[in-house]
Amino acid sequence: MNWAEIIVQALKDWDTSLIAYVPDISIDQVTRLIDADPFFHLVSATREEEAIGIAVGAYAVGRNAAVFMQSSGFGNTLNAVTSLCIPYRTPIPMFINMRGGPGEFNIAQVAMGRSTKPILDLLGLVHFTFDDDHRMGEILDGALKLCHAGRQPVALCLTRMLHGGKVA
Amino acid sequence: MLRFEATQLILKHAGDRPIVANLGPTTDELWHAQHRDRNFYTYGNMGLCSSLALGMAVSTSEQVISLDGDGSLLMNLGTIATIGREQPKNLIVVVWDNEMWDQTGHQQSHTAMGTDLEQVAKSCGITHTATVIDLEELETVFRTALEGDGPWFIVAKTEQSEYMPVSPIEPEMTLYRFRNSFSS
Repeated sequence: MNWAEIIVQALKDWDTSLIAYVPDISIDQVTRLIDADPFFHLVSATREEEAIGIAVGAYAVGRNAAVFMQSSGFGNTLNAVTSLCIPYRTPIPMFINMRGGPGEFNIAQVAMGRSTKPILDLLGLVHFTFDDDHRMGEILDGALKLCHAGRQPVALCLTRMLHGGKVA
Repeated sequence: MLRFEATQLILKHAGDRPIVANLGPTTDELWHAQHRDRNFYTYGNMGLCSSLALGMAVSTSEQVISLDGDGSLLMNLGTIATIGREQPKNLIVVVWDNEMWDQTGHQQSHTAMGTDLEQVAKSCGITHTATVIDLEELETVFRTALEGDGPWFIVAKTEQSEYMPVSPIEPEMTLYRFRNSFSS
């Protein structure tokens, strides 16, 4: 399995069938697989904050849910994460395409990309970074288990080293 | 119409259907009208009331009711487009539209200045829409919405009213109680 297929398998293993996302060229490699798979319901949101709301709504009626976005979009989610996910204790895995790392070409992506993990740390939210697919399935499975055990969001940070990224 | 009386009317017909309430007075009034396991009270996350209800609607076969507000929905108009795109047949959005941000000092909202949320919903592909100005109209439209397919988008014009005491409830318990009601 490649990294995208590993993510899809982990979501299935954790019965996570509602996926809310804002399109991104790098995570498209995963969301394309999700869209083609009848196990999932992929909801295209207009904004990442909205995606969090949709995912929490699904969880509230008993369906596991995850969100996909890029790091700039994580900035858009902050009020939803801090005033919804954290106080209500909702285990929403957040798959984030990390911009602003090696190979970044766009200055506007750098500040949010570089501050995503420090912000997660400030919020006390656990995050895992994937630069390659070595033991990825195992780590992802453990991350989702931790997410549900702690009933808080967990961030899965996907770097350009993993997925190839957007080069220009 | 008074939002509290309108909330009582919604509850009278809602049966056991899940209801998501916008933050502030809408949540407080829902609690005072009738606290029930299937009330999802919000305390922050302004703008996400109908996004939560959308996530529920695409994840359960039951009808889901969103009690949103004009100021909150203006913060997240995009979710109307997502509802239009998803077309959940089991979603009923009711917008309490008092044309102001009441809690922050009664500033006029955009719906007082020409924004027509029903037209926004229509332009997003939501075909079942209405704007109602009194309890009688609301009851007629809401009962119709309960009996057929949606999504429904109902703008209910409300007037300013006194605040009720803040509802004594916790977010974590709200989610736990609400979610458990779907587990059987």
